[in-house]
Amino acid sequence: MFDLLSIVLKYVFVFIIYLFIFTIIRMIYLDIRSVDYGNLESGAYLKLLNRIDSLPYNLSDSYPVEGELTLGRQKDNIIQIKDPYISKKHFRIIKDENEFFLEDLGSSNGTYLNGERVLDVVRIGKGDMIKVGELEFIFIDGA
Amino acid sequence: MNERLNGKAPRKLLFLFEILSLSLIFLYSWEGIQTETYVIAVGLVLLIYFSNFLLARISKGDSYIFLIVCMLISIGIIMIYRISPDLGLKQLMWLTFGIAMFFAAYFATRYIGFWERLTPLYLIGSYVMFAATLLMGSRTHGAINWINIAGVSVQPAEVTKIILVFLLAAFYGGDEKYRRMKNAEMILMMVAYSFIGLLFLQRDLGTAVIFFGVFTGLQYIYSEDRRLIFANLGLAAVGGISGYILFDHVKVRVTTWLNPWPHINDKGYQITQSLFAISEGGFFGTGLGRGNPSFIPLSYNDFIFSAISEEMGIFTGIGIIMLFMLLVYRGFKIALRQDNQFFRIVALGISMVFGIQALIIIGGVMKVIPLTGLTLPFVSYGGTSVVTSFIALGILQGASEKRGKAGAANE
Repeated sequence: MFDLLSIVLKYVFVFIIYLFIFTIIRMIYLDIRSVDYGNLESGAYLKLLNRIDSLPYNLSDSYPVEGELTLGRQKDNIIQIKDPYISKKHFRIIKDENEFFLEDLGSSNGTYLNGERVLDVVRIGKGDMIKVGELEFIFIDGA
Repeated sequence: MNERLNGKAPRKLLFLFEILSLSLIFLYSWEGIQTETYVIAVGLVLLIYFSNFLLARISKGDSYIFLIVCMLISIGIIMIYRISPDLGLKQLMWLTFGIAMFFAAYFATRYIGFWERLTPLYLIGSYVMFAATLLMGSRTHGAINWINIAGVSVQPAEVTKIILVFLLAAFYGGDEKYRRMKNAEMILMMVAYSFIGLLFLQRDLGTAVIFFGVFTGLQYIYSEDRRLIFANLGLAAVGGISGYILFDHVKVRVTTWLNPWPHINDKGYQITQSLFAISEGGFFGTGLGRGNPSFIPLSYNDFIFSAISEEMGIFTGIGIIMLFMLLVYRGFKIALRQDNQFFRIVALGISMVFGIQALIIIGGVMKVIPLTGLTLPFVSYGGTSVVTSFIALGILQGASEKRGKAGAANE
């Protein structure tokens, strides 16, 4: 009985150890702190993946998406980024009946969703990566 | 898609691993098990789980090093418990104390700001440690490195390792007045070599190599005088060769490394048993409780890597090496992100200590390099080793946080 269990579990142990290492490496790669996002905020929000202190401008860690969230260089944007690479009105995220859409507002350098350039409007969901210049956001839908 | 963002995933894996391995090990030693064993085991699992949880809340710094180390101690503790339940029980208590010291060291680095101004204290402290060892030390396994304080054996050299890192960091990254002294770096080198020489006298070769490694590494990075680096390497070569010629115990290590098989009954016994154990295990090992790790002398301590490889397979062994690589990688990353020069060097030094120590002992038991007696940090049995490793980790955790440019005032 013990022998059988021991033989089965040795494979399980190796599997768990490697899965653990793999998870850690992936987390390091994505540079995500191990915090429980669920407790931070409820509802949908954009989370900045870059380290805030490595950026030359003021940004906060996450932005809630309520109705409409806009990003650009101009002052009237909710996320204002003073970076010449970013267009005056760069992109916006709109909420429509519990679905979220990302729209590129004709930016010159483009908005990338999971590595692909957004041409006009796309639907986004939990875990999608949005990239603008050197900034990377992740969209999290807590609901 | 959301799973890869779940910071709790590794914590859960760790928890699962501990539950499975501890229940297996309890099943193995069903008779003769005591109630307090359960209490302490459950306590440890909860302790690890909650310290991870707590750390994520209180520390804005690195969130991986403690997780990685928790995996290492979990692998270590089940192996030690399997070899000897008594030692396993003791190790559990040491781990609990170690984790408490981790938090103590973390808060001390976080809230105390004058670490870089204590250069003379570090210097005196190290020599006091050496003097204490030489005067009051007792000889075990050929090395004088233990002293008895109130019934507890401690290894002062383990503590001196951390002090050395602080000394070097304070010299290169702290107060400038020591660097401005005439021949300052030469004096530092002499101090470092006096440490190494004293360790040689104690026959604690492994620790001597760590000291040399950390000193050379930091000198290579921070010294402005390239000639000194070459002088250091030259001296090391001369010292190594003359050590081989003059001292028998060095010669034994090299002989058993080159070819242990003619000496299988006496001085080559340990290393050959270790090799047998590793090859016996194969890829996935014999399974916990089904091997013979007790054939290797000191299998719970220096040779724990062979014992783990025998029962849990070389895949687990490779896993341990990868965990150490990740730990050192994170340490370097912490150093790169730290603006405070003193804490940057401390983070570098501590990561180097972990890396070199793991490299020396894992390489030693696999007969890749000559064997020198050292503990595998966080995995081996040993009170002082566990506690000082956790203190070092706590300092690393403290150094991973953003700090003002203290020390800049002096420059």
